[in-house]
Amino acid sequence: MMHAVYALIQIIVIILAAPLVNGIIRKVKALTQKRKGAPLLQMYFDLFKLLKKSVVVSDVASWIFRAAPYIAIASAVAASLFVPVATWPESQGYAGDMILFVSVLALGRFFMMLAALDTASTFGGMGSSREAMISALIEPSLLVTLFTVALIAKSTSIFQIMHFTAGVGIPLLHPVYILGFAALCTIIIAETSRVPVDDPSTHLELTMVHEAMILEYSGRDLALMELSASIRQLVFITLLVNIYVPHDQMIALYGLSGFAAIAVSLFVYLIKVVLVSILIAVIEVHAVKLRLFSIPNLAALAFIVSFLGFIQYFVLGR
Amino acid sequence: MLEAFHNSGGQGTLFWVSIILYAAAAIFSLALMKNPKVCTLVSNGLCILASVFGIATSIIDIAIEKIHTDLYVFQSAIPYLSVDIRLDRLSSFFLLCLSVLVLCVSIYAIGYVSHYFGKRNVGVLHFLYAAFILSMIFVMTSGNAVFFFVAWEAMALLSYFLVIYESEKEENVNAGRLYIIMTHIGTAFLLIAFMIMFSYTRSFDMFGSSAAIPAFAKNIMFVLFLLGFGTKAGVVPVHIWLPYAHPAAPSHVSALMSGIMIKTAVYGLLRFVFSYLGVQNTWWGVAILVLGIVSALMGVAYAFVEKNIKRLLAYSSIENIGIIFIGLGIAFIAKAQGNSLVCGLALAASLFHCLNHTLFKGSLFLGAGSVHFASGTKNMEELGGLIKRMPVTAVLFLCGALSISAIVPFNGFISEWLTYQSLFANILPGHALINILTILSVAVLAMAGALAAASFIKLFGISFLGLPRSERASNAVEVPGVMNVGMGILVTLCLAVGLFPMAVLQMLDRVLTGFAGISILPQLKNGWLTAFSPLSISGNAVSPAVIAGVFAGVILAALVLIRIIGGKRRERKVGTWDCGFESLNARTQYSATGFSKPVKIALKILFRPSRVVKTEGDLVYHPESIQYLVGIEPIFERYLYDPISKLARSISHKIKYSVQTGSIHAYLIYILLTVLILMFYNRIA
Repeated sequence: MMHAVYALIQIIVIILAAPLVNGIIRKVKALTQKRKGAPLLQMYFDLFKLLKKSVVVSDVASWIFRAAPYIAIASAVAASLFVPVATWPESQGYAGDMILFVSVLALGRFFMMLAALDTASTFGGMGSSREAMISALIEPSLLVTLFTVALIAKSTSIFQIMHFTAGVGIPLLHPVYILGFAALCTIIIAETSRVPVDDPSTHLELTMVHEAMILEYSGRDLALMELSASIRQLVFITLLVNIYVPHDQMIALYGLSGFAAIAVSLFVYLIKVVLVSILIAVIEVHAVKLRLFSIPNLAALAFIVSFLGFIQYFVLGR
Repeated sequence: MLEAFHNSGGQGTLFWVSIILYAAAAIFSLALMKNPKVCTLVSNGLCILASVFGIATSIIDIAIEKIHTDLYVFQSAIPYLSVDIRLDRLSSFFLLCLSVLVLCVSIYAIGYVSHYFGKRNVGVLHFLYAAFILSMIFVMTSGNAVFFFVAWEAMALLSYFLVIYESEKEENVNAGRLYIIMTHIGTAFLLIAFMIMFSYTRSFDMFGSSAAIPAFAKNIMFVLFLLGFGTKAGVVPVHIWLPYAHPAAPSHVSALMSGIMIKTAVYGLLRFVFSYLGVQNTWWGVAILVLGIVSALMGVAYAFVEKNIKRLLAYSSIENIGIIFIGLGIAFIAKAQGNSLVCGLALAASLFHCLNHTLFKGSLFLGAGSVHFASGTKNMEELGGLIKRMPVTAVLFLCGALSISAIVPFNGFISEWLTYQSLFANILPGHALINILTILSVAVLAMAGALAAASFIKLFGISFLGLPRSERASNAVEVPGVMNVGMGILVTLCLAVGLFPMAVLQMLDRVLTGFAGISILPQLKNGWLTAFSPLSISGNAVSPAVIAGVFAGVILAALVLIRIIGGKRRERKVGTWDCGFESLNARTQYSATGFSKPVKIALKILFRPSRVVKTEGDLVYHPESIQYLVGIEPIFERYLYDPISKLARSISHKIKYSVQTGSIHAYLIYILLTVLILMFYNRIA
């Protein structure tokens, strides 16, 4: 029973916090450009408004187009179950496995790419085919990075991995974790459609990947698509901060337990998320969008870094 | 024959009943050739019945305690001319895959074959079909290398005739020629290996001991088996026949060829190398692993740029054989290292993937057949919008595509997960080279997974979604129900296996204990799919059924919450956004070629894309016509096979004019020389 409660808290925290990350990124970008920017909570207002609007659907579209937003949100929320946001007293009912995590996210992407082709729009096809390239190039680095930390932690369960790195002390003092951290940062930028891989704030056909895929969406369908994209983003950020910058050991240090521990842990987690959001915003401000065919170089860099991390630990010895 | 009934247990009787039914199907299809409708019904009906008996045979054989069952033994006076048919759990497992596929394919064929009525002789098709199934069964159940070889050769020849069944098409005949040449090169390697086997052991018994064979000969035999079986499996670089031969055959036969025929090679490798020779060196596993990595990557890369539906599926078979070989490679490495737990896990992964590939590739080939049946084309660039014209086929095809893309809760994910777990378990401190290879396999599997998903998004998205790109596609209608039933059973099995993988794993555990003496059950506890990782005592667990439940719960919650916040869904239907220009049409959609272009350019080292633009007319900026040709370079044909065939031709050319001159005097000298050489040989030996 407690498992279900934890899972529910987990889902609610992630769903509620996800749009905030976008708000922070936009605000920081605006501030660095000497603009006032939209309010922090703008995305919540947008989503709420979109939910109340009617839906415009292309007459070419089939049921795939209508089902895709729901499948995308299901995939994003299910993926959020695998990455613990706080110190749970015990492992969740089913331990989320990182391979399953990747497969669950793939389900959402599969339907998003199909839905983009469903309306017979050129933009959709364009976004979908670019997404195909980016995902094929970035997936190996993601798996190798996760495999490396999993092998060190001796388990493929993300919960176990996080539990293990919390025992390491400060993981980022070890070269293997630094390399993994760098690789995962690059992967997150690609996976969440951020500059320099994609530009979430434009609708220019030269740059867009993710935006092109959801171009035909409106109303509640668009709200679901936007929300699931931001959940995906927060899930990846959680993966990053809770593996490489764990805070569980701190909680244990102060001898907290029970719900107090969970509350403090959640608070620390949110602070970490805010810091990473600011980091992403700073990267975005200082980077320019790469040419589409320069993305393979970035992906190769991510792969080399993750591969070096593996070699450093498992071939050269610790 | 009566003695055979007597010799075996219950499953033996069932086995012979199924064999007799297949034989009857073959005979009746020839006898009823005059009436195609009756012929199709009777022949496929008998095959369906036979496959049910086949399923029963294999399930009983896996379930009973006895490991080997002799079904028929005929010892002639000449020792190596004996016939030995026996069933062990490994044979039964492959027989099960075959029978399940045959059941569904035969149901499908009742509808599918109707488009040949009046055009071609379907009696011959059904005869070849039933005989082809029989030959595969004997490949799987033979206990004697000579009989195995005969069945193997029969399988190759019968499938050749099926490939060239639509022989009026030039491309099919060419595909058949390439296939028959390649398969015989593979068979030649096997023949040499069997001869080495006999020369040391004086026996062709596949279940005998290989102790008499010295180590160096075993190494040679391994290479021969790997090349021989690898050719049939279609691993890179001996894969070149597969993308041409599989699409050329009628679609239900393609399903059999891709679904199970290429797996007979996996069976052969397990039977002759793993079980008979015994794994001796680590490099055996490394060789298999490297072939697997290369095949997985190349196969899926070529699949992604393909625009012929069936050829895309054929390339994807190369990828999946690659994944199976990655599992096998890990199993061989672990076996050589004496790490039996990892070995069991990896074997389970690759056998599981064999079963899964049979199910989803079978259903996808049937789906491709349905598309061809309804629209008359296999070219994606002429399709589109089929989801509205063929709704049932579309749903079934989508499920097949999800399965092959390793997406939960379908079955492809389970075997991929097991493969990842065995790779995970195979990384042990102190084996630098193996560790690097293993992590590279992880990277390749990840990339292959993403590209496979992209290939099937392309296949489904371009052919089934959007606007129809040709008259044929817009005139397509849903196929007969019986075809969807055949495909539907396979897709249902994909989902069932994906949701409840433990049932299959328990069966695989029995197969492995019988065949390799390794039990994986202790690692799979609590009913969850839990696998052992040797570096830890904690289990890695996933449960597809729970995840499916979560999906359903979230979708339901989203529907309810949005209903509460936003009220009833109000929907307006308008045209797709066209930027305010003229309305969009089928030609402004993305094409299959366009879809794969980013990947083609990103991987240009592999594809070496070419582009030719031809303009006609005098005006530079206003030409009368522009022709735009894109292509990729077939690197294996150009750099491996062309030089070899050129060399062979030039040698035979030289022989024709310098040795085989046609002059009787020269031939007399050859005879004299031969006699002299033989005399000297006898003198020395």
